[in-house]
Amino acid sequence: MTRLTPPLPTDRPSPAEPVLSIRDLTVKFETRRRTVHAVNGITFDLHAGRTLGIVGESGSGKSVSALAMLGILPKTAKIGGQVLLDGTDLLGLSTADLRSRRGADIAMVFQDPMTSLNPVLTIGRQLTEALRAHLDMDRAEARAEAVRLLDRVGIPDASRRLDDYPHQFSGGMRQRVMIAIAISCRPKVLIADEPTTALDVTIQAQILELLDDLVRDEGMALILITHDLGVVAGVCERTNVMYAGRFVETGPTDDVFELPRHPYTHGLLASIPRLDADRATRLVPIDGLPPDLRDVPDHCAFAPRCPKVTEVCRTQVPRLEPQEVRDHHAACFHPTSIPVGEASA
Amino acid sequence: MSVTEAETLELDLDQPTGLWREAGKRLRRNKAAMIGAAIVLAFILLAIFAPLIAPYGPSERVGSLAAVPPGPSGEFLFGLDEQGRDLLSRVVFGTRLSLMVGLVSVVVGLSLGMLLGSIAGYVGGRVDNVIMRFMDLMLAFPAFLLAIGLVTVLGRGMWQIMLAIGIVQVPIFARLLRGSVLAQRQSDYVLAARSLGTPGRSILLGHILPNALAPVIVQATLAMATAIIEVAGLSFVGLGPQDPSLPEWGRILADNANRLQSAAHLVIFPGFAIVLSVLGINLLGDGLRESIDPRLDL
Repeated sequence: MTRLTPPLPTDRPSPAEPVLSIRDLTVKFETRRRTVHAVNGITFDLHAGRTLGIVGESGSGKSVSALAMLGILPKTAKIGGQVLLDGTDLLGLSTADLRSRRGADIAMVFQDPMTSLNPVLTIGRQLTEALRAHLDMDRAEARAEAVRLLDRVGIPDASRRLDDYPHQFSGGMRQRVMIAIAISCRPKVLIADEPTTALDVTIQAQILELLDDLVRDEGMALILITHDLGVVAGVCERTNVMYAGRFVETGPTDDVFELPRHPYTHGLLASIPRLDADRATRLVPIDGLPPDLRDVPDHCAFAPRCPKVTEVCRTQVPRLEPQEVRDHHAACFHPTSIPVGEASA
Repeated sequence: MSVTEAETLELDLDQPTGLWREAGKRLRRNKAAMIGAAIVLAFILLAIFAPLIAPYGPSERVGSLAAVPPGPSGEFLFGLDEQGRDLLSRVVFGTRLSLMVGLVSVVVGLSLGMLLGSIAGYVGGRVDNVIMRFMDLMLAFPAFLLAIGLVTVLGRGMWQIMLAIGIVQVPIFARLLRGSVLAQRQSDYVLAARSLGTPGRSILLGHILPNALAPVIVQATLAMATAIIEVAGLSFVGLGPQDPSLPEWGRILADNANRLQSAAHLVIFPGFAIVLSVLGINLLGDGLRESIDPRLDL
């Protein structure tokens, strides 16, 4: 995918305080029989107006992390660490206090717009719900604001469509509505969990463009969770690669894509078909499966699938270590230094 | 934005309609349901305008006492009973009673069942367990037996009977609601609503219940038919409303069951009224089920 807009230079000075700070976030699901360690200590900062991509395959803990930040995981989940939003630890808040921050300060766009809207309520009703709850608007104010929001996300004839039901909208339009709902209270942080996965490719680009615009205009911070590296490349300034509940590589998107240091990232990039590649070039899959998360591995989780595995990988957990480029970190004992495509298959 | 404009144009082709209006359209296309609706409507009109439609009062004596009462004739369409009362008038006035029993008992069963079922489904855990095991306990008794037991305890007044029949229906509604709420609770739109900080009460009342309601409406219709049969049954075994002047269909049947050979009309007409009203309600209920079943939607 081509870049939609050139990313902001990453050496731009950051505002002093990050709007969102995640510190050693862990999530485990405890049932009577077994414990699943879904997220095993992730840490990152996000500043206003910045975009962060979290990439990983299914089951790597991306979505669970997002739900944990909002505090909407089922009761069986045990969450550890800190989720600091403007300096307040959301995990320490009471249920009612946390609820008053959700939607108002941090909001989420979900993967499937076909099922994330309530089928029996008009979109006007769903749009105004958060406005009335968090911003104390009356009916008329909320409706006026809802029209403005629909207009903002590019739904034509907004005032007339307020009383329509979700099934009267196409998938792309529904995702626009979802975005309008999520941004209705001008949250500081917007988490988009696979926002384009369920959509046509042409619509995907429009939705990403919309998200990109919103970050620029409203100064929101955006976390884009996806398994699609193309999406990240197009929108995100920074990319964190997640594997088995941990970040294995973090850094400016360009650096991560041009010179991936972790063999997993390298493998991911090598497995993407490229239009400009020679037809004879074969895609290189990553062998094996992601690990079973019943135990937190006390070694590198990628070791069983890694082409460069050595003894140390099987006995110690690698930590995120700085690489040559500023802010580029990788958790690997044997970081690669060959660009994608030049590696031997 | 030309793509988005094209999308809207295409969608404008079908009229903006709500889900319920769509269901109504499907219902109107269903012949059996429309016949059922016509029957139900006829009974409702009969109940409302009973004094205008019935030629005589329900207890009015228009003929002489007779061991073998006269059957249908030009003057008395349904014939007379052994006390010389016009059977047509009694059946017409009986409609009021049956429909009222059906309505009130369903309202009782529905409101209690919905309350318990939605709490059980939404709260879950121990609350769910306690409520549902109690419902299972009630379901373990045959419905009619439970109704008899409740009438014995509550007394044999009109309202007690409606309450008893309503209570018997509580577990059916509770189970239905619980299942519906459980299924809806897992849905993406509930997660989305939670992510916006919508309070639990609003999620249950504003988001989940409207989605869980379709099967309940269907069940409520069918429960009305059951209630009519049950009150007729209670009267038949002698546990009906005690007031002898009330022309309850089941009671007319019971009083005249031993005259089936000599004066069959006394059994046939009230029996036919029960069958027809229940048939009408069931046809309508089945039609409703087909028209608002979410699986048939879009």
